[in-house]
Amino acid sequence: MTEAAVHIEPATMLVRLKIWRFNAQTGEKELRDYEIDAPEWACLLDVLDLIKDKVDGTLAYRKSCRMMICGSCGMRMDGKAVLACKERMKPIVDSGHVPVISAMGNLPIVKDLVVDMGPFWNKIKAVKPWLDPGYDEVAERERVVSQQQMNVIHKEALCIMCGCCVSECNSMESDPDFLGPAALAKGMRFVGDARDHDDIGRLNSYNEEHGIWDCTRCYFCNERCPKGVDPRDAIAKLGAESIKQGIDHDMGAKHANWFVTSAKTTGWLRETELVPKTQGVVSAIKQTKFALKLFRHGKVPLPFPPHVAEEVQESRALFDLVKQQGRDGALGIVQGERGLARIDQDAPEGSSGGWGSRDQADITPGKRPTRGKGGEA
Amino acid sequence: MEATHDVLVVGAGCAGMRAAIEAFDQGADVALLSKIHPVRSHSGAAEGGINAALGNASEDDPEKHAYDTVKGADYLGDQDAIQALCDEAPEDVYQLERWGAVFSRTEDGRIAQRPFGAAGEPRTAYAADITGHVLVHVLYEQVMKRDIPTYEEYFAWKLVIDDDRCQGVIAWDLLNGGLKTIGAKTVILATGGAGRLYVGTTNAYACTGDAMSMALRVGVPLKDMEMMQFHPTTLAPTGILITEGCRGEGAYLLNSDGDRFLERYAPNAMELASRDVISRAEQTEIDEGRGIDGNVLLDLRHLGAEKIHERLHGTRELSMTYAAVDPIHEPIPVRPGAHYHMGGVDTDLDGLTSITGLYAAGECACVSVHGANRLGGNALMETITFGRRAGRAAAEWALTHTTVSVPPSIEADSMRELGTLLDRRDGERPWAIRDELALTMHQNFGVFRREEQMTEQGRIVARLRERYERVVVDDKGDIFNNDLTQALELGFLLDLAECMIVAGLARKESRGAHARPHDYPDRNDDEFMRHTITTLDEGGRVTLDWKPVTVTKWQPQERNY
Repeated sequence: MTEAAVHIEPATMLVRLKIWRFNAQTGEKELRDYEIDAPEWACLLDVLDLIKDKVDGTLAYRKSCRMMICGSCGMRMDGKAVLACKERMKPIVDSGHVPVISAMGNLPIVKDLVVDMGPFWNKIKAVKPWLDPGYDEVAERERVVSQQQMNVIHKEALCIMCGCCVSECNSMESDPDFLGPAALAKGMRFVGDARDHDDIGRLNSYNEEHGIWDCTRCYFCNERCPKGVDPRDAIAKLGAESIKQGIDHDMGAKHANWFVTSAKTTGWLRETELVPKTQGVVSAIKQTKFALKLFRHGKVPLPFPPHVAEEVQESRALFDLVKQQGRDGALGIVQGERGLARIDQDAPEGSSGGWGSRDQADITPGKRPTRGKGGEA
Repeated sequence: MEATHDVLVVGAGCAGMRAAIEAFDQGADVALLSKIHPVRSHSGAAEGGINAALGNASEDDPEKHAYDTVKGADYLGDQDAIQALCDEAPEDVYQLERWGAVFSRTEDGRIAQRPFGAAGEPRTAYAADITGHVLVHVLYEQVMKRDIPTYEEYFAWKLVIDDDRCQGVIAWDLLNGGLKTIGAKTVILATGGAGRLYVGTTNAYACTGDAMSMALRVGVPLKDMEMMQFHPTTLAPTGILITEGCRGEGAYLLNSDGDRFLERYAPNAMELASRDVISRAEQTEIDEGRGIDGNVLLDLRHLGAEKIHERLHGTRELSMTYAAVDPIHEPIPVRPGAHYHMGGVDTDLDGLTSITGLYAAGECACVSVHGANRLGGNALMETITFGRRAGRAAAEWALTHTTVSVPPSIEADSMRELGTLLDRRDGERPWAIRDELALTMHQNFGVFRREEQMTEQGRIVARLRERYERVVVDDKGDIFNNDLTQALELGFLLDLAECMIVAGLARKESRGAHARPHDYPDRNDDEFMRHTITTLDEGGRVTLDWKPVTVTKWQPQERNY
């Protein structure tokens, strides 16, 4: 093989970075500046490699596959979790921006960009993360399951356990015991699996305190997931499936149930009834003073007479459609809450496409990626 | 000694985890030890699928699978091992499905199978184009279910050999620092390949041949080390893998004239010829000026957006991210890149090496089922079937023997050796040596090999080794010191490069991945239908020997596709 075939000198660019260094042995923390020449095709991970080689061998970060599948190199760039191997640096360099690199959030820092993944894995283990077929005897061959049935969990099965969602989870920031987006997405991977026979047990366990209803729906996990798993959607599916199965003892479930009842009957949300229906009568009475204050400021309408929307039959028809299509459980959320607008009302049941045919990572079908010259070298 | 176990598995990819699960189910006290978390293992990057004659997409049987594998291996595979693999593969795949592997499905709900290179039937079971990912995760689920203890981020460095038995491993604890000794009645090596020997490789940074070198250093022979497979479709410049599944689904390979050039190299199988044949064809096109910036083109456009979304979603994501090309609209520029080591630690059908208590499975082992050229989809299958076999054999041995002893002198010697490296203050850091090794291996020991280039590469490796003896580690700390472990990895790679060159020079013929068109263009079954064996002698030099190939029912024939 000729040298030219394997080693074309690529065009280079000067990359500037700031990295939060952390020394666990001394407890010192410092934001340091770095400047290094890198090929134009370089990703953040390539730049860190160059810094470790040529500037400072003590810089610590994890890496392995460098192709977005092993999940090692989760870290933050400008305060947002990314996979270092996925972030092309050329557009950032061209913009003149100097990004700040730091360790992921919500996990203890070990050194520099390396976090302790122990708490992360403990939560994964807490959701009983293995298939429970409900019997011990061995089937003769494989179990027969349709592709449509498997499609239900195709996004959850893409998860690489990088921790980017956990890093950005707002609920976990206030409640470190919250199971969190990665573990709950793993839970949905089994609840949605037609071969698993413990969905009721699982749903009961995920409905406990620190479970699905503690999610604040900030959608940061969906936004930062580098693989398009959309963990918030998985949590929504678990919620919908719980209610479908009658597991609705949590206030979160009652809250959701009341939204549906209220919208179905009047086409509006009846706020005055929301608190007693969600928290119970006693709790509601305790909040009377607060409710009166809200009323005085025009924040809640009078409960009587009930205000019925003009086109209430539309919301009732929507309710019936969901029932009729069997989309009142997890199936109703398969396309993601973001994708609700795209539900085809004429589609026969379960007619969705195969793997990868729905929301894809953050690559929009048809949209051209940023072209780096080095990529063609 | 930190702890002792019946069975200690070093490496936690598909082979390691499958071995650990089997040993556990046999009743052994088993632990995993890996320098990266199990789900980070490079098995997870396998894309296209896993071969087993399930017969879900056509009439198929293990006999056909075995014949394709024997032929694909260019008759250097051991036919008893190949027969075992192909016979046991279907049940092993069913087992993975019963554990919950998310395979793609046929119309009638069975495991889907696609055509793959040099396979007579559509035999490659797959999960879209993330089959390895799906298998790594299902195996880790089973590891969690069994609560198998795992020494995560422990960098295995040395094997403990005492009383002519392997009795444990000495490892550097990355998170906390310090050398730790884990004793074990049996050790199973499963650390994968050594693609990092090359600048353009599909392999992860972790693929540095650790176990092959560790075994070599304690006197275990390595087999067929010259056999490094170049995958025909990798992205420039870094070598990221584009799955053979693309061609399995019908993609074309085009040269700069827009011709499907395989018409001239493999007129029957075309894009589904074996990998060695296609890589040579591509390199010839590129060398003769019909490439585009050192690449040929992989054209998926005629497959249509729907099929690409459904079955090649990961491929599209990779080529958009790393080559700025959307395969729905444009062909992907690809070139051959180092992919898989057919060679490795010489083992029998139960994974046993030449040392009692020491086993190996997966890419770091050489049973050998791949011979001179591996078929796509057979690597994942080998990890599962031979991982299971090694796990069972190791557990059976461990359960009938009692003692484990690690002489303190072995630990003390290791401590001293590491101290010398860490205390060195003046000298060169390892990265330039690593980069030069990877570049020169690509130039001098690549798709095509010449006598003078291999000889020159031998001299280069010797010089790099001299420099390596004086390297300096920048990081002197205990916590997550991968500056240290990366220096140790380079030592492993240098050992393996030397073995590959010695074996490559000795094999004066062209067979499978070892192509010498300029001096020995033909296969020479009379002299070379046998395995190369490389070992270290007393003075630390690599010596060469030969071992016969096991032939059962398939006599060598001319190999055309």
